Amino acid sequence: MNIISVGVNHKTAPIEIRERISLTETQNKEFISGLISSGLAHEAMVVSTCNRTELYVVPAMHEVTGEFLKEYLISYKDARNEVRPEHFFGRFYCGTARHLFEVSSAIDSLILGEGQILGQVKNAYRIAAETQAAGILLTRLCHTAFSVAKKVKTKTKIMEGAVSVSYAAVELAQKIFLNLSVKKMLLIGAGETGELAAKHMFQKNARNIVITNRTQSKAEALAEELGTNKVLPFETFKEHLHEFDIIITAVSTKDYILTEAEMHQSMMKRKLKPVIILDLGLPRNVDPDIGKLQNMFLKDIDALKHIIDKNLERRRSELPKVKAIIDEELVGFAQWINTLKVRPTIVDLQSKFIEIKEKELERYRYKVSEEELQRMEHLTDRILKKILHHPIKMLKAPIDTADSIPSRVNLVRNIFDLEEPNQSY
Amino acid sequence: MNNILYNNLPLLILNQIVSLLYLFTAILYGVHFFSENNRAKTYKQPFLAVTVLMHVVYLGLLTSTEGYKLGYSTFNLMTMVAVTLTITYLFVEFTTKSDRTGFFIISFATGAQLISSILTALTPNTGITFSGIGIGVHLIASIFGFSAIAIAGLYSILYLLLFRQIQKNRFDLLFQRLPSLEVLEMLTMHAVAFGFVFLSITLFAGIIEQQASGKVISLFEPKMITLIVIWLLYGASIFVKPLIGWDLKHMAYLFIFLFLFVTVLIVFMTFFSPTFHRIPF
Repeated sequence: MNIISVGVNHKTAPIEIRERISLTETQNKEFISGLISSGLAHEAMVVSTCNRTELYVVPAMHEVTGEFLKEYLISYKDARNEVRPEHFFGRFYCGTARHLFEVSSAIDSLILGEGQILGQVKNAYRIAAETQAAGILLTRLCHTAFSVAKKVKTKTKIMEGAVSVSYAAVELAQKIFLNLSVKKMLLIGAGETGELAAKHMFQKNARNIVITNRTQSKAEALAEELGTNKVLPFETFKEHLHEFDIIITAVSTKDYILTEAEMHQSMMKRKLKPVIILDLGLPRNVDPDIGKLQNMFLKDIDALKHIIDKNLERRRSELPKVKAIIDEELVGFAQWINTLKVRPTIVDLQSKFIEIKEKELERYRYKVSEEELQRMEHLTDRILKKILHHPIKMLKAPIDTADSIPSRVNLVRNIFDLEEPNQSY
Repeated sequence: MNNILYNNLPLLILNQIVSLLYLFTAILYGVHFFSENNRAKTYKQPFLAVTVLMHVVYLGLLTSTEGYKLGYSTFNLMTMVAVTLTITYLFVEFTTKSDRTGFFIISFATGAQLISSILTALTPNTGITFSGIGIGVHLIASIFGFSAIAIAGLYSILYLLLFRQIQKNRFDLLFQRLPSLEVLEMLTMHAVAFGFVFLSITLFAGIIEQQASGKVISLFEPKMITLIVIWLLYGASIFVKPLIGWDLKHMAYLFIFLFLFVTVLIVFMTFFSPTFHRIPF
């Protein structure tokens, strides 16, 4: 009994290799079905995201090793010319469990503590379960991984703080304003960056979002998507600058879209009430001198990256706590795996005693009344339960090392004359 | 009048326990603020409540020995400042659900209580005592007024620190732990409003008490001048924002100045004019 994991991820291979080896959901299903139906594996699961493609396999034969699985995946993807086994990592047994726990807790991610990976691992498990490729071992492994991720999320701060520019913009706005829902926000530019920032602001209850864009239809489309339906013509938005508490700019322009004189005038009109301008454009959209105006908070991408760096630093400081949680769960998982090895012996032991009981009772079936037979059966059940209690307890007792399991199992098997097991786990 | 604590060991011990409780509560708030320790977070609020309770019990026992009369002395003044600051903060914490500024307020209160305990041990005379509703309201309102001034000053310092951190792109501990600028502004302005109300009560209660007793206090008496100046400045500061359009950054400088001004005056008067108003009580 073993669990092997092999795969490529952002730590082992460059993006072109990761792209080449990744699997779509259909390919994922086909691949793990193939492994099971060909008798190579008892169980299989593939986690495939933009940063990793990883196989988790319970092999059905000794020939199915990590190297075999690497070659198998390369062949399946017909990528022998580009992808080599050296691009893969390989783990087995508890190493596999630890790796999946680290992946699910997002400490193995490219961006430490990112929130998407748990959903992706859950999706991988769903696919494996739907394909009948997730048995007792992978199910337990995945559920433990989900539980680890939940503990990590609630007991540590590994997922706290913004780690993207658009989230950092929201975090900064929340450090200035108490309630974004009562603040008026202007988004200049309806491109991808602006859209992301507006959506994050919307998630934090900013509802009064007005959008302006050179191509008005794009602004209208985004406004409709956000449900605000507030658009300003690009030619006239500067007349309304004083109305806004938050201004986000994300346009492609050579010249500054907002000048110091315009913002000075706007600040006078709004009686110097604080304004935050988030310049997400590259090159910058806003005259840096605007930042010198009274009660003006002008932040460009570099400033927002300072927030990201600080948050990542904080996340990194949480790593020891996360690793302690993983270690704790790993011990529990390893002990559970060890109990799997004794399960066939327990089943055999119980079957043997039940067989003896039934044979002996059969001899009395026609010698006693039905009522007496039931009482005898009840009595023998109770005796058997008490006799088997200690041997089963001894077999199930926590085991520190896997090495001590065979000796326990053999002892019980020899004492009770049990036949050799034919199950793998 | 002699120092009651000199002859009352249980009361003296209780006084020291109250100081230790303040110190421990301030440490819990500090540990939570600087390291986000979960245990400190769990225990800090119950400890704050216990500290306030013990302090009120201590003040009750202290005044009971003199027939529930209020004593006017520096150490009584400081211990009252500590308890009113803490009660005001406790109220703020329960109503705003924001516990991120507690360390700064409780530390100040702890400082006041520790000074009170030290002075208690050093001062043989507790000063004159007062009884009566009018004078009681006058004294308590003045202490609450000073506490509000202190809180407004401390919140203003925090506001300016956070403001500068954001301006200078220094997103360190204060940026991460303090509430937003708008929350600090709101807390400051609430404290100023409370302060003005309490200072007004102090003035009016004093006037009523003076008329009732038929004793005359000169307008040029140092404590009268101080109170009227502070009252006028605070009253003006409430209207400066809406009328002149000052932002809180400028207001913050004013409140810090007022806080320092009042503190210096109180210290000055405590040492150079240690009696109550110059009237024959």
